[in-house]
Amino acid sequence: MTSDHIRKSFSILFVLIFFAYLFGPLIIMSLTAFNSSSFPRVTPWECFSVEWFEFLTKDQKLIEGLQNSVFIGLGVVCLAVPMGLAGALMLTQVRERVRPWYYTITISPILVPGVVLGISTLLFWDRVGTMFGASRESVFYNGFFLTIIGQATFISAYTMLVFISRLQRFDRVQEEAALDLGATHVQTFRKILLPFLKPAIASAAVLAFLASFENYNTTVFTIVSESTLTTFLAAKVRHGINPSISALAVVIVVLTLLGAALHEAFKRRELAAEKESARVAKGEQKSRGAQSRFLFDPTVIMILLIFTAGLGTAYFAGTIGLDECKTEVLAEKRRIVQERIKKRQQKTMFQDAGRQALTPLTQEEIKKRQAAPGTSNFQGLFSPENLEEQVGTSKEETQDAPGRAGTENFQSIFAPRNLEEQVGSEEQKQSE
Amino acid sequence: MGFWQDFFRKNGKALGLFLLGSVACWMLLMIILPQLFMLDFSFRTNVPPPLWGTEAHGYTFEHYRYMIYGSAQSTESYNFVDLSVFGRTILTAIFVTLIDVALCYPVAYYLAHVATGGWPRLMVMALIVPFWVNELLRAFAFKIMFGSTGIINNFLVAIGILDQPFDFIRNSVALYSGLSYAYILLMIFPIYNAVESLDKNQIEAARDLGSPWWRIHWRVVIPHAKPGITSGCTMVFMLTAGALAAPQILGGPSSLWFTQIIYQAFNQAGNWARGSAYAIILLATCIIFVLCVMKIFKVKLGEIAR
Amino acid sequence: MSADVQLNDVWIRFGDFVAARDVNIHIQEGEFFSFLGPSGCGKTTLLRAVSGFLDPSEGQVLIGGKDMAGIGPNKRPTALIFQNLALFPLMTVWENIAFSLEVKGIGKEERRKKANELLELIALPDQGEKMVNELSGGQKQRVAIARALAAEPDVLLLDEPLSALDLKLRQHMRTELRAIQQRVGITFIYITHDQGEALTMSDHVAVMSQGVIQQVADGSTIYDHPETAFVASFVGENNMFSGKITEVSEEYAVVETPSGMLRARRTKGKGGSLHRGDEAFVFIRPESLKFVNGSAFDNRVNANIKQQEFEGSFWQVFFDVEGNNRTVKLSMVNDGSTLPHEVGDRVELGFSADVAIATPAGELAAE
Repeated sequence: MTSDHIRKSFSILFVLIFFAYLFGPLIIMSLTAFNSSSFPRVTPWECFSVEWFEFLTKDQKLIEGLQNSVFIGLGVVCLAVPMGLAGALMLTQVRERVRPWYYTITISPILVPGVVLGISTLLFWDRVGTMFGASRESVFYNGFFLTIIGQATFISAYTMLVFISRLQRFDRVQEEAALDLGATHVQTFRKILLPFLKPAIASAAVLAFLASFENYNTTVFTIVSESTLTTFLAAKVRHGINPSISALAVVIVVLTLLGAALHEAFKRRELAAEKESARVAKGEQKSRGAQSRFLFDPTVIMILLIFTAGLGTAYFAGTIGLDECKTEVLAEKRRIVQERIKKRQQKTMFQDAGRQALTPLTQEEIKKRQAAPGTSNFQGLFSPENLEEQVGTSKEETQDAPGRAGTENFQSIFAPRNLEEQVGSEEQKQSE
Repeated sequence: MGFWQDFFRKNGKALGLFLLGSVACWMLLMIILPQLFMLDFSFRTNVPPPLWGTEAHGYTFEHYRYMIYGSAQSTESYNFVDLSVFGRTILTAIFVTLIDVALCYPVAYYLAHVATGGWPRLMVMALIVPFWVNELLRAFAFKIMFGSTGIINNFLVAIGILDQPFDFIRNSVALYSGLSYAYILLMIFPIYNAVESLDKNQIEAARDLGSPWWRIHWRVVIPHAKPGITSGCTMVFMLTAGALAAPQILGGPSSLWFTQIIYQAFNQAGNWARGSAYAIILLATCIIFVLCVMKIFKVKLGEIAR
Repeated sequence: MSADVQLNDVWIRFGDFVAARDVNIHIQEGEFFSFLGPSGCGKTTLLRAVSGFLDPSEGQVLIGGKDMAGIGPNKRPTALIFQNLALFPLMTVWENIAFSLEVKGIGKEERRKKANELLELIALPDQGEKMVNELSGGQKQRVAIARALAAEPDVLLLDEPLSALDLKLRQHMRTELRAIQQRVGITFIYITHDQGEALTMSDHVAVMSQGVIQQVADGSTIYDHPETAFVASFVGENNMFSGKITEVSEEYAVVETPSGMLRARRTKGKGGSLHRGDEAFVFIRPESLKFVNGSAFDNRVNANIKQQEFEGSFWQVFFDVEGNNRTVKLSMVNDGSTLPHEVGDRVELGFSADVAIATPAGELAAE
């Protein structure tokens, strides 16, 4: 009995940790977008701010990448939905013996690494272009064309799976019935099959768009000289991180969540409709209101509400009091810096008294960093800093540590490290 | 002859042509031919683009040779750099796959058979959320967390486990956790679906017969979930081995991923032929892995790709 | 308009499998014609060849005297009612009914009018706005008929349309179908494995087995004068004795069976070739079998009563007959008198040669 209880609580704990593992990183990343600190982090919280979002709107390359991503996404939808549909319809018609082969080939792009798909697409169309003697400006070398083709290769397999599962519930006899009643094949397709597939088409389209929108591995090869949101993002992340990426992440996460909710809603609507019709077919009474519920799925509405509310609060909270907070933080930083400098001046008598407060410090710090003395144990007790800086400042600080206890406590609250960078950038902003 | 006649009879001309055209386009122009061209290209000498297709662009094994022996001028007898990157990529991918199984199986079982009420449904819905978040952003989130001033270092230092921040990035911890995280949902969903389809009564029956809990899992639940586990393992392995975003963002300067070598061959060295050869090697490895898994666990491809 | 349907030397093959073997049938215009046979006998395949979903491998299908080769189902003057009805679940009842007009490009007003007329015909007025799934089984059935009739076919094909209904509804629909057929006056071709349906509704019945047409005749001829062993064993209940022919005349044949010499009418037509020494079957219906009780009969057999069952309007008595390993059954109308024998009694059974039938040995229907 007790061992049962222990096991039960243990498994609940495990599940909780698992979910924390799943959501923790995303939540932390999202929070960093609202911290005014110029390095994406949560713990030394400075000011609640939405300036990083504003920062985004000014990034011309980002806007361009976003536009390209949307364009490519729409292109992929236009290509992958009909191809997936054709693939799924064909699967029901190929001969029994051929079917496993057919299925294997059409499904294989899902399993092939995206990198490989990108490379093969790039190479193939390059060779085709050469064969036709096309110029470098022609479509065969165009990043958009290649990316749409490359992504559609495997996204079509996704959409095909969506259609296959929907078609499994389709009574093929309906097509024969329509033909028998005099409809042409095209009419049968349009009036019987398409209406039945409508929910699947919608969910396949959303799926295709999302998959395209967030694809990186294939795109990075096929995009050539253009850029999409993901390649832009990757380049940005690799070149150095700042909270505007977190802000972008929040935007993308929100958008993809909306998309995912939409996808989910389509799926559930389809399932619910099916259940309803099965119920009615069994001769039970039709429940009123069931029909209208599909159109306004409560989950979708909830998610939408939460997002708008969250964004709204964030915006207002961000604009109100941001400047005061920032000035405060800045003042704090200056005070700390100046205190440090004073102490150093007292101690070393090194500084030229006539200089400005900030500049010498920066120079001094750089010099010290280059000297790079060993680290101390003491430093570790306080909130951590960027490693290099820590190395750089540790020696002196250790020596005057007792005298600086108050400062250190203060720092552990605001912890404005990265001094040169931060203060420098603040000054820049203010001077603007 | 009979088939095509039947086909057009069933679909009519317009639709029949649409079906045939789309499927042919997809299969030939997008799946089969590009792979064949890449295979062909990987056996060609590395000459500048204007010479492609000319006589100078002949066949050679040099790129595959290079992968094993390195360049002819090299003093080393083997290409230790690339081989070790390749080996580490594959081993890490296997390791990540195993971790994911170990993490996901208990959770999937819990969601399917232990949790009661509306919780499991809600949790499964919640699982979908991180799945939809971009791979790059998931890696970025880990970079923030594992940075030297990231929350993990802050926490560990604050509670006194570490006396100074630990460089998770350089030590590949960030990379491994990021990779495990990146595709974990492709593990949990197949396992969940498989475990969920198990009749609760079977577990009850086993418990009635006095089986200890671990034997119930070993003899009843795991065999039932095998197709799901296999499917999850295949997907996670393939995606991890072929990952590019996470290694680019989370990888330390000294820990390259095999896809990064391919990427460099294309984008920095401009050696498309070698890049193709390496891509072929990656592809072949993945195919061999899938075939092995299918053979060992006796499942069909249809059960894996869902 | 109505049209006749001819199947001339029709063969239908799927690879090595022969679904229809040399079928020759002429269905007159305006008649109710049924194909009767166990499932898998090829009757549905034949129907699909008539409706145009497949072309026969050999032979011709003529509708109204016109060869249908290469004409698709949407161009033929036929309409098919499917086994599962195949109503369009995403359309309302009236949209279903008017579908054939819709695809012809006829305006909504007119479609609606025609649909209402047909709803009247099938006694479902004012149900046009409902969704198909809101209807009961019998109503769906009638909507399917209306939908097919809306196409104004010359020939209406029905593929076991009643099989999904419960017994009572099925019997009701039989009468209704027959009534509708007489009202619209077009040719109905009906497929069923239920002999009750075939015999009650049809002008003519074709009994089919393994792709072969066994017999084409009206219902009573099929029942009373089966031409093959299959028809005799498939349609209605029959007791069977097998043996060798010892004597054949114009009308009768004598068969030597382990239970004794049995004299019976010989089959005509297709199964007519009976010769001395051939293997043959003698069939006698349970209601034609009598206790001898001193009367004179052409044929007598010895039997032990195995079991007696009371079924209300009649009695069923089961026997073990000497020399026959099949249980023999006798039905007696319940006229109020008690049964003359008890289980275990040894009795003598008799029947006249005119109610028994001798066929060449051949395929039997599955029990």
